[in-house]
Amino acid sequence: MKKILALLLVLAMMLALAACSESTNPTNGGTDTPAKASSIAVCLASEPDTLDPALNSAVDGATMIAHLFSGLAKWAQDDKGNLVIVADTAKELVEGVVNPDGTVTYTYTIRDGAKWSDGKDVTAKDFEFAWQRAASEALGADYGYMFEVVDGYGTDSLNVKAVDDKTLEVTLANAVAYWNELLAFPVYFPVREDVVSDESWATKPETYVCNGAYTITGWEHNSVITMEKNANYVDADKITMDKIEFYLSDDANNMVANFKNGTWQLIDDVPTNEMETLKKEYPEEYVVAGQIGTYYVCWNIGEDILPEGSGLTGNEAELARAEIRSAISLLFDRNYIVEEIGQGGQVPASSFVAMGMTNPDGTQFYKTAGHNDFEGYINVSKDAVESNFNQAIETLKKYYDYDGAKFTNFPTMNYLYNTSEAHKAIGEYLQAQLASIGITMNMENQEWATFLQTRKNGDYSIARNGWVADYNDPICFLDMWITASGNNDVQFGKGEHANVSIYSLDLTDLGYDVKVENGTWAETYDVLIKTIKGCTDNNVRYELMHRAEDLLMSTGCICPIYYYTDTYMISKNVKGFFSNPLGYKYFMYCTIDG
Amino acid sequence: MNSKTMFYILKRIGLALLTIWVVITVTFFVMHAVPGGPFMSEKAVSPTAQAALEAKYGLDKPLLEQYGTYLKDIVTKFDFGPSVKQRGRMVIDVIADGMKTSAKLGVIAAAVAGVVGIVLGAWAALRRNKLIDKTIMVITTAFVSMPSFIMGSLLLVLFAITWMVLPANGAAKGGLVLPIITLSLYPMAYITRLTRSSMLDVLGQDYIRTAKAKGVSRAKIIFGHALKNSLIPVITYFGPMLAYIVTGSLVVEKIFAVPGIGRAFVTSITSRDYPMVMGTTIVLAVLIVVMNLVSDILYKVVDPRINFD
Repeated sequence: MKKILALLLVLAMMLALAACSESTNPTNGGTDTPAKASSIAVCLASEPDTLDPALNSAVDGATMIAHLFSGLAKWAQDDKGNLVIVADTAKELVEGVVNPDGTVTYTYTIRDGAKWSDGKDVTAKDFEFAWQRAASEALGADYGYMFEVVDGYGTDSLNVKAVDDKTLEVTLANAVAYWNELLAFPVYFPVREDVVSDESWATKPETYVCNGAYTITGWEHNSVITMEKNANYVDADKITMDKIEFYLSDDANNMVANFKNGTWQLIDDVPTNEMETLKKEYPEEYVVAGQIGTYYVCWNIGEDILPEGSGLTGNEAELARAEIRSAISLLFDRNYIVEEIGQGGQVPASSFVAMGMTNPDGTQFYKTAGHNDFEGYINVSKDAVESNFNQAIETLKKYYDYDGAKFTNFPTMNYLYNTSEAHKAIGEYLQAQLASIGITMNMENQEWATFLQTRKNGDYSIARNGWVADYNDPICFLDMWITASGNNDVQFGKGEHANVSIYSLDLTDLGYDVKVENGTWAETYDVLIKTIKGCTDNNVRYELMHRAEDLLMSTGCICPIYYYTDTYMISKNVKGFFSNPLGYKYFMYCTIDG
Repeated sequence: MNSKTMFYILKRIGLALLTIWVVITVTFFVMHAVPGGPFMSEKAVSPTAQAALEAKYGLDKPLLEQYGTYLKDIVTKFDFGPSVKQRGRMVIDVIADGMKTSAKLGVIAAAVAGVVGIVLGAWAALRRNKLIDKTIMVITTAFVSMPSFIMGSLLLVLFAITWMVLPANGAAKGGLVLPIITLSLYPMAYITRLTRSSMLDVLGQDYIRTAKAKGVSRAKIIFGHALKNSLIPVITYFGPMLAYIVTGSLVVEKIFAVPGIGRAFVTSITSRDYPMVMGTTIVLAVLIVVMNLVSDILYKVVDPRINFD
């Protein structure tokens, strides 16, 4: 009897395993042999919401689209390994011609031999159609606003036209320093009218017609997207990687498992609690790359933080609040946050415009910001922690009762963050720092979409925030704080703040007839941003952007914490890989050793 | 089947439909009452673009009208609408894609749990207090008390990283082996313990002693009488087990990156993909309601003494 039962048991187990495993050698997962020289398996994130270049707003989606489409320009590495923007489908990246009305016209020629993956020619008309479509409100693309530099944006039609099959003419409202970079951004990539008329075109390989280095040859939803070299791509002979498999998963632990056993050659995420170990175990494979973004905490400008009976009102009260907020920014040790909590190689932030943004002379924008004898607006060196703290206490003493160790009449505040262990840990650190001087800050976490809505509505005192650049120009950090911006979470110029007149702006030294003393946010900041957007002299423009950041930081509403980094792991056999400052990763020129 | 049973089944089907309708209605209104919407993102779209999108998906209409249209579409056309977040994909396609894998995972895990659990349980009962019984009991106690995310991570480290005998990625060939084992261990252990105690109970009954006294063969006693009767409690566990597998697969699918329905379900809620939330909720609700119904009817088949009144 025992034998029969044992036999049955073994049989049942074998049957069950056989039913779900069709493979005799499953060790290598999806790849038949461990990564042949012409094939690479990577995992960036879970299934992208869309692979339509106009609709995509995710970094992982942009990476895939950069492999599938070819715009007028692209990111590439020069001979020395530096990142550059070069012509792709355009013959060359031409200089613009300034028109009498200040607009600038660019005329591009489409390269001979540029074809879609189905063999049809890529025409200037395709670009015209794609741009009009991407910018249209009917499409409602997240990145539609990237066309705001083009003349006619916001009306029915952009000022872009196909003169003939080969010639594309586009007029910008004024000269834009980062125009070539925009041309390499997915939302500027061409799509064909007959292809996208089928709304589901970008969800299956059969209908996905593209013009880039690769085509999609397989797409198992939520599992893997397989791309193979596009023979019709105009530069197909330069592509060294024949096949890329993008595995779709967002579980960092699972990614590490697949990296460790050699199934995947690049993974774009690692679990925070394993960072230290992985860094030691895989010193060559563990990469911390710069990413242009800032993790910060923002205040609601409408939140009254003055003690009861302070006697301050109106403009005086707002000036006091700005001073208090700036002082509180000094209480935090950013080195502790990045080393003990973040652990991802982040860099303590001393400004809002992120590390990685450069001045026209190539120096870091954040290093020349703030006009202090240290870099930025807050001295984030380890030596300054104590003096910052003491300075903050002295400032706060002006407004609050201090019993020698604690402030006794600071109103209770709320800290809003979206549910995540990492955000919670940082919030708790801030809370503890404040508690040590008698300030109570309660923590409130909300699930992502609720959090976004609450923060946007301004229903908070202090909130966790973050911003990652869409293109390599400081303006993308600065124009989000104009009164009408959809990302103006601080609520500048809204509600009671609309009437607060304490801001000054003097641009006469830069040749502008703009001088405002004690103006409102709309009269100063909004005007400044508008001036920047119309400025054609690059040096002046950067000076204006520094002034915008000065004005922004003077409110104390932005408390920078750290600059983001992009942590990933890449097998050391992979050569020729590069990524750009926006976090897009490029596999087309990769080869695999061994 | 007598008319009483027939009536009972009809009544249960009616109740099941009512339950599903309540689930649809509650989910629909609660979902819309939660702050945030599908077009909320870190980088805000312009209000006009948002309005255009809302009009496109009919989200600009009064809530009651949206509810009416939704109900009408699923009842008359079985149309769950398009996903709002995954532009260009229909909810039904996304669900079908995910269900293919999830169903395979769930069904095999349930089968493994049932077959292995019953065999082990019976074996332990027949070898009561012997070494094998004790070993089985210790192991099953461990499995019952260990949550699936720990078990899953443990198996992942051992089989996919240390020994490298099975893939860590659920989409790969053989990738479902580890998820199935993880998912089936708890119900298997539970069924083993259930079968053992129930079998011991049955083996002590008078009719077994009578059968033995009459000289009925041991095999016939075990398979013909004892095992069959000891399965009644196991069948009642069928419904809860299904619920466990459905919810447990959310965790397991994440650990092993299995392209199942679990991820679609969770992410649709965070991203406020209304049609997708509705679609996945309805599918899971139907599944659980139907399985409970089947379990109740099976109960009757196995044990004729049970009365449906």
